[in-house]
Amino acid sequence: MHMADALIAPAVAATMYVCSGVTAGYSVKKVRLESDPKKIPVMGVMGAFVFATQMINFTIPGTGSSGHLCGGMLLTALLGPYAAFLTMIGVLLIQCLLFADGGLLALGCNIWNMAFYGCFLGYFLIWNPIMKKGMSRGKIIGASILGCMVTLQLGAFSVTIETLLSGITDLPFGVFVSTMQPIHLAIGFVEGLITAAVLIFVYQTRPEMLQGGVEKSDSKVTYKNAIVILAVAALLISGGLSLFASSHPDGLEWSIEKITGSTEIEAGENSAYAAAENIQEKTALLPDYAFKNSESAVGTSFSGVVGSAIVLVVCMGACYAFKFFRKSKK
Amino acid sequence: MSHIHINLEHVSYSYEKSIPILKDISFTAHENDSIGLIGANGVGKSTLLKLLVGLNLDYEGSIRVEEMPVVKEMLPKIREKIGYVFQDSDSQLFMSTVYDDVAFAPRNYGLSEAEVEKRVHRALEMIHIEHLKDKHIYKMSGGEKKMASIATILAMTPDIILMDEPSIALDPGNRRNLIHILNEFEHLKIIASHDLDMILETCSRVILLSNGEIIRDGDAMEILSDRELLEENGLELPFCMQKVRAYCPGNGKTAGTCPGKN
Amino acid sequence: MDTIAERDQWVNHIHPLVKLVLTLSFIAITVSFSKYDLTGLLRMGIYLIVVFILGDISFRDSLRRLRIVLPLVCFMGLFNPFFDREPCLQIGSVMITGGMISMLTLMIKGIYSVLAAYLLIATTSIEKICYALRLIHVPAILVTQILLTYRYVSVLLEEANRIMQAYSLRAPNQKGIHFKVWGSLAGQLLLRSMDRANEVYESMTLRGYRGEFYYAAKEPCKGKDYAYLILWLAIFGVLKFVRLG
Repeated sequence: MHMADALIAPAVAATMYVCSGVTAGYSVKKVRLESDPKKIPVMGVMGAFVFATQMINFTIPGTGSSGHLCGGMLLTALLGPYAAFLTMIGVLLIQCLLFADGGLLALGCNIWNMAFYGCFLGYFLIWNPIMKKGMSRGKIIGASILGCMVTLQLGAFSVTIETLLSGITDLPFGVFVSTMQPIHLAIGFVEGLITAAVLIFVYQTRPEMLQGGVEKSDSKVTYKNAIVILAVAALLISGGLSLFASSHPDGLEWSIEKITGSTEIEAGENSAYAAAENIQEKTALLPDYAFKNSESAVGTSFSGVVGSAIVLVVCMGACYAFKFFRKSKK
Repeated sequence: MSHIHINLEHVSYSYEKSIPILKDISFTAHENDSIGLIGANGVGKSTLLKLLVGLNLDYEGSIRVEEMPVVKEMLPKIREKIGYVFQDSDSQLFMSTVYDDVAFAPRNYGLSEAEVEKRVHRALEMIHIEHLKDKHIYKMSGGEKKMASIATILAMTPDIILMDEPSIALDPGNRRNLIHILNEFEHLKIIASHDLDMILETCSRVILLSNGEIIRDGDAMEILSDRELLEENGLELPFCMQKVRAYCPGNGKTAGTCPGKN
Repeated sequence: MDTIAERDQWVNHIHPLVKLVLTLSFIAITVSFSKYDLTGLLRMGIYLIVVFILGDISFRDSLRRLRIVLPLVCFMGLFNPFFDREPCLQIGSVMITGGMISMLTLMIKGIYSVLAAYLLIATTSIEKICYALRLIHVPAILVTQILLTYRYVSVLLEEANRIMQAYSLRAPNQKGIHFKVWGSLAGQLLLRSMDRANEVYESMTLRGYRGEFYYAAKEPCKGKDYAYLILWLAIFGVLKFVRLG
């Protein structure tokens, strides 16, 4: 589920960074409002706990394979959505930096896909409504499994969407979705079971640690909050993406018009076309496929590869020389 | 009589209403006292220490630290005077490097960065761990962590130090080092431990707890050489005392000087 | 990892914020190369090579550390040759299709970005990265929380490891944790973590913590750092936008 950098276009990455950033900012504000100084150490240590338990292999009966804990849903049940979201950011950042689990550029996406749904939807749409009228074993199992499955489905779907919007892989949408979703349905079920097992243990030993359902009058407000957050996020995502997607071709057309005095140019007749194509290839944030058959856009020639290799070797030599002189100076 | 630092009168405490942990505890500790708090597992040693720093406030009776009652409003002032060394150094040291951790308290008390640096250096110097200044805590050994924990407390320049099982999980070398440091600290210290040999070397007074009550409060040498008393309370003679007994079986209850001391 | 990041190398002393910005720009520019622009992409490798050499970081060591991630990164590209069979180049009798080239570029992009992130963390410790985050006004709650998580990851991993060992010693012939003890095993660790969090909080309050964290004064970028940043951004610009040979 962790997305790598190579699959993502900078525009998508930036948009998702903004979305996750805005949600994080809002969560920070909320956690501050609680003004519970204990929350910070608890968040820190619980982040480490999620990290550590993800290293434990839970055997799935009858399959021989193993599953892991779902951090978002567990944390949201223990800490509430805002603190849980911030905690997950820490977990994902450290996973990304120390284990190269998910890319640095894709971090915004990963936070969104793995933390947002689990923490916010998992809490406001699943945990809170189910626990509103008191807690029980059955309810915890139900909420955990439902929560993990739903949030994982959404996360997996977001991965698909983000990848396709980035337009980097040639994998068709249908194939991608039909592999991603069922796999994550199964994973979600198992993660839900494990999460439920842990939460029930907590329920039996120290029930006060769990987030109880909020009173009705309150939950309306929080529902509203959830919807507002979702709406803002949707707006940001769609707005941000369409901005990136549309502005560049438009800008390009405009510049071609300026150069040639006409928007319609015939290939080969004017070198401006090749130049423009070149510019587009180099500047496109969402790589456009329209020119992929054109020879010049491929930009790959035997001499080109050799030339680049020479550049790299020269550069390496220069570095070693630099280091050699520094050392000898010492 | 020297200045009174800690005064407890009829203190009782229970976690849940039904199970009392401490019952009617009263004692007074003075400026230069060094007190060993001993007793079997679960008699309330740690709980007592935690009461003194105000980590549990719903006790009965009266606790006064430096003439201030231990109540919520006074906690910031009390905690400036009193340092608590946790049993588990990993809980005590939560910052990433030794420097940042030792600087945590001075920074919280609003000292300038220059002053903070001075305090940190002084604290590290006292424990002789200047070389660990920039070391990452998760990379340190248990002994190094314990020393760093003590430094974080000394950086607050406290008048009182409380320690919970400081010698546990230390190798003999580090334990010896710890004993030196404890003996160098001239203010009031209260050490809760099962390591009676260490208590014998560092404390002049011992308080023996059993089932949440003070059974004995008196001279360290006297209590720590009373075999029956110790064994009744789930403890045994310090190792060095056992040796003395083995060499001079005719000795009475007070076994004379311990060979480990001095 | 921190051991490498703490060495006294020239690159390690560059301001962390500069390195963070550079790494992100490098990855963003690398990823935005057209999927057929193999030569352009290859040239971007200059950055990696220079930092690897200047930072005196072992390339083999990095491959060893990333051995699990790199194949995964390359995996996605494998599909491209099947979906894009447009011929675009012929060398002798071998027909190179667009899909083959895009597979290569995708893999290179993946490897480059993983290596770039690796170089960041190999020359900059997590605390320094958090420090950079504070400089760009990431709220203290978040930064502190990240640092605390980082601090306790090793402690809890060790604890988890001990639990696993104790379990496996008494349950030979089992690969993972049997479902009957899922809850109690992870739950015990959870309770212990919670207790630890409690103690950490106590340790904080005993040393004057009242909800705010104070750190050493911020150190701004110096001329050297700006020079390093601008130089690289210029090189990236040239590599991306100027058509060489």
